[in-house]
Amino acid sequence: MPDGGTMVIEKKSGIYLCEGCGIADAIDVDALEALATGDLKTPHCKRHAAYCSAEGVAEIAADVKNGDVNQVLIAACSPRVMTDRFNFPGAQIIRANMREQVIWSHPPGEEDTNMLAADQLRIAVAQAGQFSPPEPHAEAEVAGALLLVVGGGVTGLTAALEAAHTGAEVILVEKTDTLGGWTRKWSRLLPERPPYRDPQPNDIADLIAAVEGDKAITVMTNTLVTSTAGGPGAFDVTLTQNGKNQSQSVGAIVVATGWRPYDPSLLEGLGYGASPDVVSDIEFEEILSSGEMKRKSNGDALNTVAFIISGDSDRMPYSSGLSDRIVIKQALQLLEAVPEAMIYVMHEDLRAHGMAEEFYRQAQEAGIIFQNGVVKSVGADLTITLEDRLIGEDVPMSGFDMVVLSTGMVPNSTNVDLEPAAKGADQLVDDVNPLAALLAAAKAGDGEEKAEEAPAPDTSEEADQDGANGEAAMPGGPILNLQYRQGPHLPVLANGYADSHFICFPYETRRTGIYTCGPVRRAMSVAEARQDAQGAVLKAFQAMRAADKAVSVHPRVGDLSYPEFGLDICTKCRRCTVECPFGAIDEMEDGYPVLNPTRCRRCGTCMGACPVRTINFKNYNISMITDMIKAVDVPDEFAEKPRILVFACENDAYPALDMAGINRHQLTPYVRILPVRCLGSVSATWVSTALESGYDGIMLLGCKSGDDYQCHFVKGSAIAQERMESVGATLESMMLEKERVRTEEVSIADSARVTALLNDYADEIKAIGYNPFKGF
Amino acid sequence: MTAALPETAENRYDLGFARWVRDNVEGGDKLSLCMQCGACSGSCPIGTQMDHGPRKIIAMIRAGMKDEVLSSNTLWNCTSCYRCTVRCPRGIPVTSIIQDLAAKAVEFGYADKKENALFAKSFWWSTSAFGRTDERLVTARYYFSLGFLEGIRRGLANLKIALGMVRTGRMHLGMPHKIKDIKGLTAILARAAEIEAEEANDEL
Ligand code: SF4
Ligand code: SF4
Ligand code: SF4
Ligand code: SF4
Repeated sequence: MPDGGTMVIEKKSGIYLCEGCGIADAIDVDALEALATGDLKTPHCKRHAAYCSAEGVAEIAADVKNGDVNQVLIAACSPRVMTDRFNFPGAQIIRANMREQVIWSHPPGEEDTNMLAADQLRIAVAQAGQFSPPEPHAEAEVAGALLLVVGGGVTGLTAALEAAHTGAEVILVEKTDTLGGWTRKWSRLLPERPPYRDPQPNDIADLIAAVEGDKAITVMTNTLVTSTAGGPGAFDVTLTQNGKNQSQSVGAIVVATGWRPYDPSLLEGLGYGASPDVVSDIEFEEILSSGEMKRKSNGDALNTVAFIISGDSDRMPYSSGLSDRIVIKQALQLLEAVPEAMIYVMHEDLRAHGMAEEFYRQAQEAGIIFQNGVVKSVGADLTITLEDRLIGEDVPMSGFDMVVLSTGMVPNSTNVDLEPAAKGADQLVDDVNPLAALLAAAKAGDGEEKAEEAPAPDTSEEADQDGANGEAAMPGGPILNLQYRQGPHLPVLANGYADSHFICFPYETRRTGIYTCGPVRRAMSVAEARQDAQGAVLKAFQAMRAADKAVSVHPRVGDLSYPEFGLDICTKCRRCTVECPFGAIDEMEDGYPVLNPTRCRRCGTCMGACPVRTINFKNYNISMITDMIKAVDVPDEFAEKPRILVFACENDAYPALDMAGINRHQLTPYVRILPVRCLGSVSATWVSTALESGYDGIMLLGCKSGDDYQCHFVKGSAIAQERMESVGATLESMMLEKERVRTEEVSIADSARVTALLNDYADEIKAIGYNPFKGF
Repeated sequence: MTAALPETAENRYDLGFARWVRDNVEGGDKLSLCMQCGACSGSCPIGTQMDHGPRKIIAMIRAGMKDEVLSSNTLWNCTSCYRCTVRCPRGIPVTSIIQDLAAKAVEFGYADKKENALFAKSFWWSTSAFGRTDERLVTARYYFSLGFLEGIRRGLANLKIALGMVRTGRMHLGMPHKIKDIKGLTAILARAAEIEAEEANDEL
């Protein structure tokens, strides 16, 4: 679309009332039709026994084709289903949920149920009034399928090779002079194939050779990424090799910067440093590789060896079950080399989940003894004092030739070899644990020294504004040195792991088009890292293609809409640039916000943030929801029917409410549910509109926030809670009970819980009494 | 002959003992399989009468508690009911381990003064000599193995019961009964001893 603005097309709405799935039996469809053609002024209103049938679909399609309607309002099942059938190119589709959230969750034939159905129709008509079809954003300049992979360990190598096989050109950047990373040092690898019982050969050399031999892959060693600007489809990166800079445009970036070992001397009292025969698992791997099974102190044979898996709570976040599997692997390899050896594994917990159970069994059958207890100390003579929980006393165990300490993997979410960035080191570490990154730094390498070196959090005015409540300096320098308004680093989570949702969307960082994989996001084995690399590469391809088509990536995949900024009334408050979870908005020199549309995920958090309400989407905007709120017919207090407005996040809460209907949980008749893209998009103005319109209570239903967040836009739910806290203060100043606005976190599986939450809330609101503004 | 026990210093714990059990006790090589679930101790009908239940005995072997294991009454109170062996989810021959440890306890002098051991010896003497247990001889031999005076004391204390049994035909007087083919039994036992010796030789 050229700059001339949006072409105005006359809206021609048609309402289609479905009678199927028992809707006509449970609610008064005649009354709905009268409402549509009467109060709602939509003469084009039709009914059908089942609109999802071929006949029903054909009827709507014909109306669209004839030009009778260009806005199709279907009052039938949930907007989450039948999307393939109710899809009429050339028309906007608006759905009123009459099935899951009306007839399946409310008793048939009752006055309250009919009132709800009428409100659902009013809401849909109000939505249609402010809904225009989205158009792609103008910029769609794309660099083609050129992928940058950062890190030349097993993860990065796999990513590069997979991407090359999928048809991309790849630049693989490695900061040292060799490929292969830590994996090059491993004598053997954990079993990844049935029967999952024996350590398997290390084939890293083959992988390196394949990468080096692939014409589509350019390997750059001794290279750092010193600047990254732009966005998916067209990142502008500077690669610095031996001091020489090279600019490059790339479509997407895979970050596979791996890990560094947890410092074994932080394992208090376990003897590291007291004797050369107390070694870390990394050092023991060298002994295994060398084939010389000898004591470091005097060269004697290794006959009796203890492995210690400590439950040290500082180590735990970096160890995971992986460290325990490595102990099993090393013990088995030692036993193979020295069949007469007595091998003890002293563990507080032993984590050998999934197929690793077989591996554990193999070790037990081979004669390795697993002793449960807490190792209290390891002496310089290698005497171990074990608080044996199963004998119930402290057992001193002596006669060991070597003690091996299980350590852990500290993520390289920053480059600790670099000085912290001069500007923007005040990285938003997340609202979880502001000191996490600092602690992570202290765990690695030379430990405490590093922590002292790390700069104090920037307390300048600018940092205060940025930081809200969770800012801390990152150790070391940034990996990509992002030229983003939100700073040069990739956001990290607790303990310094690169931010990603562990289960649901593992590779997504908060920087669109940049995907982390491998141990930088969690401790993982070589096999797991390879799988992870494959996943991240597929994500990178998706991002490049989405950028090409000017559509969104996860979770609103394919969405064309994007936020538009009415800069005429913008006050340059910078809330949008700070709160955007994805760093999609930069600031121009004059302080106005500027959107990088390819970075945008269309969550609407900026829209919810803007105090002057000047950020809007074509098909999702402040006026639209405001009208939908006002569309509901709120009875006066003499009717004794309170109204509760629910903003339900469309990712989990809304589906959970649909599930409640599917499971026939009965909902209070007082709620009116509006789906929102993310709780982050809920504007405070909607809350005040609702209170002014006479609603008695407002509930925001979103996903879990915190370091184990489930929010699909990472921070939206947390931001909403913060905002609602200040709304609470406003309520009190208006002499309203702060219980009238509540935020709850639910998951998609919570259909019973969400029902109970709403029903209890309705009781609570009834007890508090009606909104005094009702009727004004 | 079993390999000599490791020399233990003053220490209660000696990892060498665990290694020794692994290499010398029947079923000892399965010790590492034990996951300390306690199914054995929970199943043991005699567990409450033992110093340590079978699970704990295994934990103690691993911790190298040589003296405590070998002098524990567990080895002697075990009735060989095999419940532990049957129920062990890891297939550990718990009963065999306990029984063989008892034999080793005798071999290394841990059971010289153990009544249960002395009783077991009398019992075995009667069984191997006659192919049967003769209550009179087993009891007499057992009592007198506790010392001459103790033998007299216990014998008198039980005289009434013995006479009662004779009166009701529960105990006979006269020569001990033998099984028919005592020669056959002797041959079997001799062969068993040979096999044991061969196995011991093989292991060396
Ligand atoms: S807050 Fe959401 S919608 Fe707004 S710019 Fe950022 S990603 Fe896009
Ligand atoms: S939040 Fe609104 S007013 Fe503030 S900078 Fe962004 S667009 Fe401007
Ligand atoms: S065999 Fe012995 S240890 Fe096992 S359950 Fe029976 S009595 Fe107890
Ligand atoms: S039942 Fe078997 S595995 Fe369980 S404690 Fe006893 S010996 Fe060990």
